[in-house]
Amino acid sequence: MQKYVLSQNKNSNVEDFQMREQLITTFKNRFTTYGYKQVRTSTFEQYDMYGSITGTVNKDEMIKVIDTSGKVLVLRPDVTIPLARMNTATTNQRLFYVLDVFRQSIEQIDQKESTQAGVELFGDNSLEADAEVIVLAIHTLRDLGFTNFKIELGHAGFFKELVQQADLNQSQLETLKTYIHSKNLVEIEPFLNELRLADDLRNAIQLIPMMYGNPGDVITQAKQIILNASMQQVLQNIIDVYDVLVDYGVADSIVLNLGLINNMDYYSGIIFQGFLDNVGKPVLMGGRYDHLGKQFGKATPAIGFAFEVDYLVHALNQQGKAIVESGIDLIINYDKAKQKVALESAYQLRNEGLQVLTYLFDEKDTNRPPSTYIVNYTNDEQQLIIENKTITFASVNELVSQCLAVKEAK
Amino acid sequence: MEQITLALAKGRPAKKTITLLEKTGEHFPELTEESRKLVFHNSDQSIKLIFVKAVDVPTYVEKGAADIGIVGKDNILESLADVYELLDLKIGKCKFSVAGKANHYPADNQKLTIATKYPNVAKKHFKQKGQPIEIVKLNGSVELAPLIGLADYIVDIVETGDTLKENGLSILEDIETISTRLIVNKASFATKAAEVNQFIKQLKSALE
Repeated sequence: MQKYVLSQNKNSNVEDFQMREQLITTFKNRFTTYGYKQVRTSTFEQYDMYGSITGTVNKDEMIKVIDTSGKVLVLRPDVTIPLARMNTATTNQRLFYVLDVFRQSIEQIDQKESTQAGVELFGDNSLEADAEVIVLAIHTLRDLGFTNFKIELGHAGFFKELVQQADLNQSQLETLKTYIHSKNLVEIEPFLNELRLADDLRNAIQLIPMMYGNPGDVITQAKQIILNASMQQVLQNIIDVYDVLVDYGVADSIVLNLGLINNMDYYSGIIFQGFLDNVGKPVLMGGRYDHLGKQFGKATPAIGFAFEVDYLVHALNQQGKAIVESGIDLIINYDKAKQKVALESAYQLRNEGLQVLTYLFDEKDTNRPPSTYIVNYTNDEQQLIIENKTITFASVNELVSQCLAVKEAK
Repeated sequence: MEQITLALAKGRPAKKTITLLEKTGEHFPELTEESRKLVFHNSDQSIKLIFVKAVDVPTYVEKGAADIGIVGKDNILESLADVYELLDLKIGKCKFSVAGKANHYPADNQKLTIATKYPNVAKKHFKQKGQPIEIVKLNGSVELAPLIGLADYIVDIVETGDTLKENGLSILEDIETISTRLIVNKASFATKAAEVNQFIKQLKSALE
């Protein structure tokens, strides 16, 4: 027989799936309390739509399909862009999604799909909206039981503004981004020296990677490298958003990172990403993208973020926070003669929301899942067993209320 | 303070790093020349030291299995790891170069065959030049490849150039200089900021 190795990707066993579902329930509950409504987008999207919009997903990474008419489609590589296109609301609209996204890369050939849970807030460009969206991310991480996490807060405009003045060509820009991205202080200095920039500009760019950490300190440092009015404005924006975050009481979870550059070029304002202990990659990313809508013919201010659900599952597993119940509530064993009453109680108990399995008495059958209670209907007696305690009961109703009482007490 | 995990590449850079750390007052009591253990702690348990293969250091750090790694730039470049690179320890200096036989002239616009232990580095270099290449990935004795016609050129680390010379090869161009670097996991930099910065500061002062 040919053996097929299952992709170890995810959902490959029951426990994993249970945990993902718990996570997703947490997302849904929390996102809903901030007024977000769930939506989904099509699994197939027009390749041309992604192709025509600048600064989005790398074309090589998209998984393409050709339909019968010869049109090229892609498997949804991202959710933000279709939502931005779909959004027609004129007033503000809060949407959330839990969807799989599909991308391929040579480095990670086995990982073509991942699950994202995210929110998008359209039609509100206030800094209060910025702060609220970040707080929602923090609130959700707390719900999941994480305590040691940090949200790095930056601004797409800070780096863009500096680079505009430097007038770099494409390959120089890529190199510079790589250095800033990896905070490579060793190599950024000789690189900048070679570019022959004005002293204050070179100095400012060189300091960007280290504009990181305690917001108060970073703001003081940043004030010293402000070169013009628009940089001043960007910095003020960061300060204002941070002040709102302080009033939300989440300042402890925030660090500033002015060297934060997102690969998605469509971001226009505040950008942020979240890190958990021991997970090397950001578990959430997001930011403001006020100009993306323009590429679909209607400019709508927007901000959003997405969690990488797979990283969170990994983190929960690693930190031992995963609580997965493998057993069920109740098992009913019965003799054939008691079939009617046994099955009737099963129905009643299930109706009350308990997980119930029924078995005909069979000495040889030992292969049963663990359960909290056991009910035995034998020819002579009927008993309920809870943690080695045996309780007798007279009627189905009494059994149901006994079980519920125990469940309540837990 | 939380414990930080430091991944070191076995060999010379590790020895020099440990010398540096001892200069700053961090001692690893169980660490001796003969020891074959792979995990060590310093006296106050604030640092956990793990020894891994050099090529694996960036992987350990990128995945968060280690907070900090100390490893040659060659391995960082080849791994394409997404990590912070914060310090040059200025040891293990050498360079990446393209080398070949002195009298070997492949036809213009021809696809070149490049033998190397570092396919990613080679690809990136020739892509920037717009030169199509084919890679032959080798794990050692790379200098042999041009001699027996397996490849037109090699991309390799050059320290003194003696090995090249002895095999009748010469350097055609240098790609970039290499030295031992300190890399940091991006999550650790955010969530263990105090510990990581303290460690870097210590090491920096020892370097001066």
